Amino acid sequence: MTNPISARTRPRRRTRIIAPVRRRFGLRRRLILTLTLGTALLSIVLSIITFGLTRQNLYSQREQTSIDQAELDAARITGLLSSSTSPEGVQSALQAISRNESTEILLRYNDQWYSAPRSTFNSTEIPQSVSTNASSGTVAHEFGEVDGQRSVIVGVPLEQLNGQLYTATSLQDIEETLRSLTLSLLGAAALTTVAGAIVGYWATRRVFAPLQDVGNAAESIAGGRLDTRLPIGRDRDLDVIAGPFNEMAQALEDRIERDARFASEVSHELRSPLMTLAASIEVLENSKDEMTERAQTALHLLAADVDRLQQLVDDLLEISRFDVGAITLHREDVTAVEVVMQAVGILGGGKLPVTYDPDVTDVVIRVDKRRFARVMANLLDNAQKYAGGATEVTIDCVDDMVQIGVEDSGDGVSEEERDIIFDRFSRGREGGNRSGDSGVGLGLALVDEHIRLHGGKVWVEERRDGQPGARFVVELPIVEPPLTEEDENAET
Amino acid sequence: MGTRILTVEDDERIRTAVRLALEDEGWEVDEAETGEDALASFGAQPADVVLIDIMLPGIDGFDVCRSIRRMSDVPIVMVTARADTHDVVAGLEAGADDYLTKPFAPKELSARIRALLRRARTHEIASTHLSFGDLEIIPEEGVVLRDGRETHLTKTEFRLLIELASPAGRVLSREELLEKIWGYGYFGDGRLVDVHIRRLRTKIESDPANPRHVITVRGMGYKLQQ
Repeated sequence: MTNPISARTRPRRRTRIIAPVRRRFGLRRRLILTLTLGTALLSIVLSIITFGLTRQNLYSQREQTSIDQAELDAARITGLLSSSTSPEGVQSALQAISRNESTEILLRYNDQWYSAPRSTFNSTEIPQSVSTNASSGTVAHEFGEVDGQRSVIVGVPLEQLNGQLYTATSLQDIEETLRSLTLSLLGAAALTTVAGAIVGYWATRRVFAPLQDVGNAAESIAGGRLDTRLPIGRDRDLDVIAGPFNEMAQALEDRIERDARFASEVSHELRSPLMTLAASIEVLENSKDEMTERAQTALHLLAADVDRLQQLVDDLLEISRFDVGAITLHREDVTAVEVVMQAVGILGGGKLPVTYDPDVTDVVIRVDKRRFARVMANLLDNAQKYAGGATEVTIDCVDDMVQIGVEDSGDGVSEEERDIIFDRFSRGREGGNRSGDSGVGLGLALVDEHIRLHGGKVWVEERRDGQPGARFVVELPIVEPPLTEEDENAET
Repeated sequence: MGTRILTVEDDERIRTAVRLALEDEGWEVDEAETGEDALASFGAQPADVVLIDIMLPGIDGFDVCRSIRRMSDVPIVMVTARADTHDVVAGLEAGADDYLTKPFAPKELSARIRALLRRARTHEIASTHLSFGDLEIIPEEGVVLRDGRETHLTKTEFRLLIELASPAGRVLSREELLEKIWGYGYFGDGRLVDVHIRRLRTKIESDPANPRHVITVRGMGYKLQQ
């Protein structure tokens, strides 16, 4: 049994060393690297073994034939020298047994050295052990250098004569063969390594593709497409991930839907009493003049808060419908200028300036007009509540997007609040202050939802002219092509 | 006799509050709790405008709408839960002339009712006899003849036809039609126009799927031709 403390600390120490490597390379790269190194190592080991065996084989073969040949030569020269012992006779005998370029012959006869003509074999090149053995009557051989070439040197005693025959057979052809073998083996090893790397790349890609799918699916879910699922049944092994993943996604979707449905049902339930309240207040307002001043004040308070409640219920219902994905857009192609002017005209009472460059005039956006009007209403409303009203609305083209800006001259929105301001029930610095006609904090969240559904973005930034104040920007994609002349005529 | 409004609503408190508000406008109000009550009431004494909540126990608002439409071309306003649901289109197709979403302000309802009542006075728009191929329109009598036979249109459909016929051949955008007929502005619901155009076609076109008279001009609106 291991000490529980050491059992706990050991893996921790391991991870500390491995973690940076993991982080730097990632699992896939490490797998490819391992496979590549593995194949490289394997092919190098195999090459070395092949080379060694081949070399040994070729050498021992050459050794054997050299000995056999030298013994044969010794027998022949013994025969030849028995008839003629003159130096010329010795020379011609040597010439007779000289066979080819690769074998040099030296003869020691009657304490004299004889060599074949043009031979470069020199008695000093004979290894000590070979000459000693041959002199004492034993066939001997050794590898050595002859004229700078690696050779096998064989010494054969000439038994019936006083002498020894030495042959030196060059190993150059074998060396050359081995050199080209080395090159081939190196090439093969390199190819195998590359092949290993390729297989590694391909195999890991196959293995990691489902992981990528899981990642994409998770991202898609995080992005709000809650019905994203992984395909099941494509691969038994992958279903191990896909199954639980889909279950998790389903559970998440159910949970979110349940929450959203709850909000939706609550708002629905609130509508009937609100309806009664709104109608009753109107009836009361019709006979306001008959009321005391106190009652009138109370009625005014009631009316204002019923209005606010109604707005809240409306917003809540709308946003819960976004959450369950029950929103359908009725989109039309309209010019950005027209739809903005119309919205601002109705909401801003005709006093709010709308500025745009001439090049924006024909830009067409595809929007649900009533939702767009709601977006503009919420932005202008926001400016009204927190900055004393919008000062200007701008329309610009930036690449293939149109940007609609609503500027105010309030205190602006601080950097850290710029993201959270679009969260539900966030109210910036005024948060918590429910006096007066401050909103309920769903307006900007709804703007965000509406614009995202339209494939656009909304954010808040500094005013463009550097004056204090906020600039809310709605960015929507431009639709091609712009209106034709006929369309414009129809508008008149 | 004053203007009679029939409200069909199962929630008693809403019904009462709406009745009080409408009575303040000077209208007479009949109340019905269920669809069955509404049909019985309408059969006994037809109203000038009918207000129907879609969500009713028993026969639902759509059926009530269809049944009343078979009896009469009385203007119908329906009350739906949401503006962006299929309920709106279904209600319009069942014969409603306009819709409101709950909760609505009674002032808004009064405005809708007044717009509907105005619609009955089509003779103010055009008084001359108009002819479009096999189609004849006699505004002062509120009659449309197709191949010499009378085709029955509701008041809204008739008004729509007259609006399209008056500036013959000119394209009218949805926004224009919404404003002229329903009294809505630029951000009115285009489906009101689309569904009424569809209904109009089934009555005056020999082949509603391939209309010859009421033509859709893509991205622009509608026009009437020979």
